[in-house]
Amino acid sequence: MAQATELVQARTPRFGRGRWFGTESRREAVWGLIFVGPWLIGLVLLTAGPLIASLVLSLTDFNLSNPDAVRFVGLDNYAAMASDPNVRQGLIATVKFAIIAIPLTMVASLGVAVLVNSPKLFGRNVFRTLFYMPIQIPLVAGTLVWIGFLNPETGWLNGILKLVGLPGPDWLNSETWIYPALALIGLWGIGNFMLINLAGLQSVPTELYEASRIDGAGPWTMFRRITIPLMSPILLYNVVICMITTFQYFVVAYTLTNGRGDPNNATLFINLDLYREAFQYSRMGYGAAIGWLLFVIVLLLTLGLFAFARKRVYYAGGEA
Amino acid sequence: MNRSRSGPRGLMVAAVVVAIVAAACGSSTTTTAPIASTPAATTAAAPSPSLVNITPAPIPAGPGPNGGTVVRWFIGLGAGTQPAQIGPEQAFATAYNASQKDVYLSLEIVDNTQAANILKTEVVAGTTPDIIGPVGVEGLNLFRDQLLDLTPIIASTGYTFSGVDPKLVDFFKLGDNNAMVGVPFAVYPSFIYYNKKLFDEAKLPYPPSKVGDQYNGKPWDLDALRTLAMKLTVDKSGNDATSASFDPANVVQWGFDSALQDNSARAEDAFFGAGSFLAADGKTAQIPEYVKAGETWFNAGVWTDHFIPNQNQAASALLGGGGEFGSGNLAMDEGHTWFTCCVAPPKPAKQFDFGFAVNPLVNGTITSPLHADTFSILKSSKVQAAAFKAVTAMVASQALLTTYGAMPADTSKQDAWFKSIDASFPGIKLDWSVPQAMLAYPDVPNHQSWLPNYAKAKTALQAFQNKYRTTSGLDINAELTKLQATLQSIFDEPQAP
Repeated sequence: MAQATELVQARTPRFGRGRWFGTESRREAVWGLIFVGPWLIGLVLLTAGPLIASLVLSLTDFNLSNPDAVRFVGLDNYAAMASDPNVRQGLIATVKFAIIAIPLTMVASLGVAVLVNSPKLFGRNVFRTLFYMPIQIPLVAGTLVWIGFLNPETGWLNGILKLVGLPGPDWLNSETWIYPALALIGLWGIGNFMLINLAGLQSVPTELYEASRIDGAGPWTMFRRITIPLMSPILLYNVVICMITTFQYFVVAYTLTNGRGDPNNATLFINLDLYREAFQYSRMGYGAAIGWLLFVIVLLLTLGLFAFARKRVYYAGGEA
Repeated sequence: MNRSRSGPRGLMVAAVVVAIVAAACGSSTTTTAPIASTPAATTAAAPSPSLVNITPAPIPAGPGPNGGTVVRWFIGLGAGTQPAQIGPEQAFATAYNASQKDVYLSLEIVDNTQAANILKTEVVAGTTPDIIGPVGVEGLNLFRDQLLDLTPIIASTGYTFSGVDPKLVDFFKLGDNNAMVGVPFAVYPSFIYYNKKLFDEAKLPYPPSKVGDQYNGKPWDLDALRTLAMKLTVDKSGNDATSASFDPANVVQWGFDSALQDNSARAEDAFFGAGSFLAADGKTAQIPEYVKAGETWFNAGVWTDHFIPNQNQAASALLGGGGEFGSGNLAMDEGHTWFTCCVAPPKPAKQFDFGFAVNPLVNGTITSPLHADTFSILKSSKVQAAAFKAVTAMVASQALLTTYGAMPADTSKQDAWFKSIDASFPGIKLDWSVPQAMLAYPDVPNHQSWLPNYAKAKTALQAFQNKYRTTSGLDINAELTKLQATLQSIFDEPQAP
C-alpha cells in the first residue's frame, strides 16, 4: 500500500499539494475553465472578430450611404460624442430608467418568487405559469397591447384609477411618466428573474428555517437573516443581467415611438441612439463608437457591482 | 461569509465578467430581460411587413438561361414583398424572359423592413442590383447618390411617356440637378375621404366632388372645411364643437384629420401648398410658408377647435387605435388613393358608405399632395441599356399595376385600376373623377423631397409633429424656429450624404 502511494505521488508531481493544481479549490477552478473553455473559444472566434472590426470602424467616418469616402478619423467620433446632445440625452434617459426599473424589477421578481414558493398558496404551479407566461409573448405584440392599456383616453389603467378617484396621467406622452410607464411594461416580463429566484429559494436548506423557528424567529427575520444572505449570489447575478439589459433597452422604446424617442427625446435611450446613428442614418463609424462607449460603461458598472458585492455576497464553501 | 481568493479563480471571474458583458452587449438573444429585448423585434409601424427573402438562383457568368444579359431586379423598398405579390412578380419575370432573348430578368426580393439596409450593404460590397422598385420618393431619397439619371438613355432610345401628364413626368426629376431618376409608373394623388353616414346623421350636405363647386353657397376653402369639421365633431352628450355646451374632454367623434402616414408636418400640411425645408442654396434650412400656415391651422384644430384628434385620441380605441377613418368615428380624412387599403372598419363591423371630395382652396389654390412609385436604375449597373429595356416593360405591365394596387400614371390604364378597387367595396359608388381631377394639382416641390442627411431630418420633422399633437398651448412659431435650428444643425453635419 505504501509502495502504491509513493508510486502515485511520484507519477503525479505537478498535482501534488503545494503545487499549482494542489488545492481542491484550484482544481475546481481549472475544471471550471475547462468546461467554460468551448464557450470562451466560440466567443473569441465568433464575437472577437466583429468586436475588433467595430473598434476599427469607430475610428473612421464610414457611412453606408457614401462608402467610398471613408476616412480614418482617429478619436474624432469619441470626441464628437462629448458634445452630442443625443448621446448625452441617451445616457441620461437610460440612467433615469435604470434607477426606476432595476430596483422595481428585482423587488417584484423576488416578491413574486416568494409568493409562488409559499406552500400556503393554492395552485402554485398555475401561478408560476401565469407569471412566467408573458415572457412567451413577442415583445412587440406585448408593447402594442400596453399602448392601448396605457392610453389616457380609453386605456384600462386610467379607467381603473378614475374609478378610485385618482387622476390618470398621460403615461406615454409625459416626460415624467414615461419612465414609470416603461418600468410597468417591464414588470410584465419578470418571469425569467422570478424563475431564477424561485430556484434560489428552493435551494435554501429548510433546516435553517426550522432551527431559526425554534429560536423564535418570525417570517421577516428569517427572510432577512437567512433567505436574503443565502440568495445573495442569485440576486447579484440578476442585478448584473438586469443592469446589462437595461443599458441595452431598445425594443419597447422603438415600438412605442417608431424610433423617434418621443416624448421630446425622453425615450431616446443610448441603445436606440446607437441604432439610429448606425442603421437609420447610416453613420456606421459613429454608431460603432457609441457601441464602444456603451460597452465600457456596462463593463465598468459590472465590475463595480462585483466589487460592491465582494463582502456582501455569501458563497457556500467560500467560492466567489 | 468566509471567502478565499486565488489567482485562477480571480482570473476566471474576470474572464466571465468580460464574457458576460461582451456577449450581452453583442447579442440580443443571450438573455431574456424583464425590461429589455427579445429577438423578435420588428417595427410595428413599418409598412408591408413580411418575411420574404428570395435571392436569385445562381446564374453563371455570362448570359442568362434565355441567352440575354442578366439584369438584377431588387424588390423590397416599397410594395412587392407581400406573399400575394410574389407569384405575379415571378410570373412577370418568367413571361418576360420567355418573350425575348436580349434581357434575362433575375429577381431579388427582400423583407420590406430590412430592404434599405440590405441595399446599402450591397452598395458597400459592390454587389448592387441593376433595378430597384417599385419604390416611392422616400425610398429614392435614401439612395439619391446611387441613382442613374435616365435622361440620356431616354433620349437615345426615343422612349415616350404615352398617356402620362407632362407634369407627372417632371415630378420624377427628383435627382441632383433635376435628374430624372425614375420612369412614371404609379401615382397617388390625395383628396378627402368622407364618411357619408356621419354626414347623414348630422344632416349636412356632402363636401364638393368637383373643383370649383361651392359648399352651402360658400367657397370650398379652409374656413368652410373648419366649420364643417366642427359641426361633425361631437361629444358624448351629442353636442357638436360649434355649441357652447360642447365638452372637449369627452369627444366621441371628430371632424377631420390627415391620413398621410409620414407622421410629419411637411406631409399633413401639404394640401396648404408646396415648398421645401431646404433653401435654394442647397444648404440653408428654412420653414416653408405652407408649413407655417398649416401647423398654425392644425394646432388650433387640435387644441382650440377640437375637430382634429390629438395623439392620445388618435391612438385610442374610439379611433381604432390609429385606424381613424376605419373606426367610423372620423368624418373626413385627407388621404392618397392608396388609402383605400385602410378604410374598412375592424370586423365584424360592416363597411360604411364613404365618398371622395376635392381638397379645399387654400389662398385660392388647390394642392393635392402626391405620392408616386417608380422603378429606378442604379448608377453602378454595368448593363444600363438592358436594365432600361426591362424597366420599360415593367411600367407597361398591367399585371404589375394590378398586383401592386397601383394607380397607373398612364391615364389610359386607370379605368381598370378603378374597377379593381370598386370590386373591394360592393354597393359603394366611388367617384373616381375626384382623384383624376386632383392629379392636376400636384405639390411641386413634393413634400417628400430630398433633404441633406435625409433620415435624420425626417426624424426631427416627425418629433415636431408628435410634440404639437401631444402638448396643448404650444407657441407654434417658437417651435418652428427651434425646428429650423435643429434642421440646420442636421444639414450641417459633416457626414451628411
